[in-house]
Amino acid sequence: MGSLIMDPTGQTTRAEAEMRLARRPESLRGRTVGLLDNGKQNAGRFVDELGKVLAERYSIGGVVLRKKPVATVDAPAELLDDLHDSVELVVIAVGDCGSCSAAAVADGIALERLGTPTAVVCTESFKATADAMAVVRGASGYRYATVEHPMAGLPADEVRARAEGVADEVVSLLVDAAVRRGAA
Amino acid sequence: MGEAAPALDLDPEAAQAAIEHCYDQGWSDGLPLVPATRELVDRFLAETDRPPDEVIGRMDHLGRACTVELAAVNAAMAGCLPEYFPVVLAAWEAVMRDRAAKGGGWQSTSGPAPMIVVNGTVREELGFNSTGGAFGPGFRPNATVPRAIGLIVRNAFGIRPHEFDQATQGLPGRFSICFGENEEESPWEPLSVEMGLPEGQSAVSATLLRTCEFVDNRHTVDPDQVLFDFADTIVRTGSLIFRDQSCFVVFGPEHAQLLANAGYSKTDVKDWFIDHCVRREADLRRAGKDAVGEGGLGGRGPSDGERVSPDTLTSIIPTRAQIPITVTGARNAAMSLVCRVFGTWSNTSCPIERRR
Repeated sequence: MGSLIMDPTGQTTRAEAEMRLARRPESLRGRTVGLLDNGKQNAGRFVDELGKVLAERYSIGGVVLRKKPVATVDAPAELLDDLHDSVELVVIAVGDCGSCSAAAVADGIALERLGTPTAVVCTESFKATADAMAVVRGASGYRYATVEHPMAGLPADEVRARAEGVADEVVSLLVDAAVRRGAA
Repeated sequence: MGEAAPALDLDPEAAQAAIEHCYDQGWSDGLPLVPATRELVDRFLAETDRPPDEVIGRMDHLGRACTVELAAVNAAMAGCLPEYFPVVLAAWEAVMRDRAAKGGGWQSTSGPAPMIVVNGTVREELGFNSTGGAFGPGFRPNATVPRAIGLIVRNAFGIRPHEFDQATQGLPGRFSICFGENEEESPWEPLSVEMGLPEGQSAVSATLLRTCEFVDNRHTVDPDQVLFDFADTIVRTGSLIFRDQSCFVVFGPEHAQLLANAGYSKTDVKDWFIDHCVRREADLRRAGKDAVGEGGLGGRGPSDGERVSPDTLTSIIPTRAQIPITVTGARNAAMSLVCRVFGTWSNTSCPIERRR
């Protein structure tokens, strides 16, 4: 009587780690922005367009383009270190699949921990998995920007429209002091 | 096999409460779980020489790992008997050799399904069905071994639907596809032997599937016509997204014997498919999939239509390693399955290591 039923997860309850975001600048003016293309279809075009919009609206100093070798898993540490060393802010796009949305959030959190303010862009279909990854990485409530799904297969003008539509949200993630406490 | 208790001594209400407890914890795949106790799990662990704390799979990006003991808990909950556990461990290893299973495959929108093929004497010893209705239902090892794999993914890796599992629809039969090869009625060497394991060695081969489709051809005994019917199924554009893919051909015994009687070895069949499983660029373009020939989704720009001729041929499965062949089912009708692999399969079989 009263045998314990074994837990198949192997998990013990963990204290929630507090996520401290990197220190944000007051504005993007003159700043160099790293654009991390995760390799998904239209991601390169999207970050390119977003860079242009940021230059037009926010007078950023310039962009540095980088591409993830594999979208579905975390970016290699060297790539994130390189971004941390060479730019002041980073945008990662686009989380538009089951694994790459989670991986984009993981990369964003990793860059924050290195000290580089980062905005991740996912399509709205993948909020659940993006949020779940934030919890796994000790950053419950981590905020990211969302664009309408899908991104793959869109013609160039609609990719541009997605970039225009999300640019202000991306900027608010990069400069707004209110995001520094993560879930705030 | 455990001793059956007289039904009057059982406590169905306690069993129901324990089952509901497992649901409440979020451990279930939707069907009732067997509540696993320490004593039951120890009986699983007694079936293997591997230490309980040995790590047999990692999802570092999710901060999760699976040990032999966690696998045993999930196998017990899936309804396996303790003696199935070495098969579960071999199946797990075989699945995890698949590149996609180590990457983002379990989280994929494709919702791929593991397919597990069992070879050797273990089929008869444990009661794996390898004849009529091999894809199920009705046979405990066939049903519970793949379910154990699914529970390990759910519980040990923490990949659950609507969270890290982002399957758009998922493949029908996901976590229930496991069959014995019908070695007795196959005219060819068993899959495990083809993969280099000794004759008679019990073994598991596995991969992640993208889709399955019937080839029901009872219409002809001409081997070229039969093979054409397979090729037409293999080259469909619907599930085609990458240049490099594999395709399992799961022959029913009748098709396999028809081909063997016409003089085809397994290698001959593979070579026939390599030659005939091709698509014209114009056909791929018609489906908007002309980019697959150059590495998958999004490989090309707008000028490509002029650069690549409509008559260019793209090989769908260009090498023998990409066309694994196995035989299962009853010899009662000329039916087979074409099982498209999610990515590329490992082209290996894992020996089943039962306790010495």
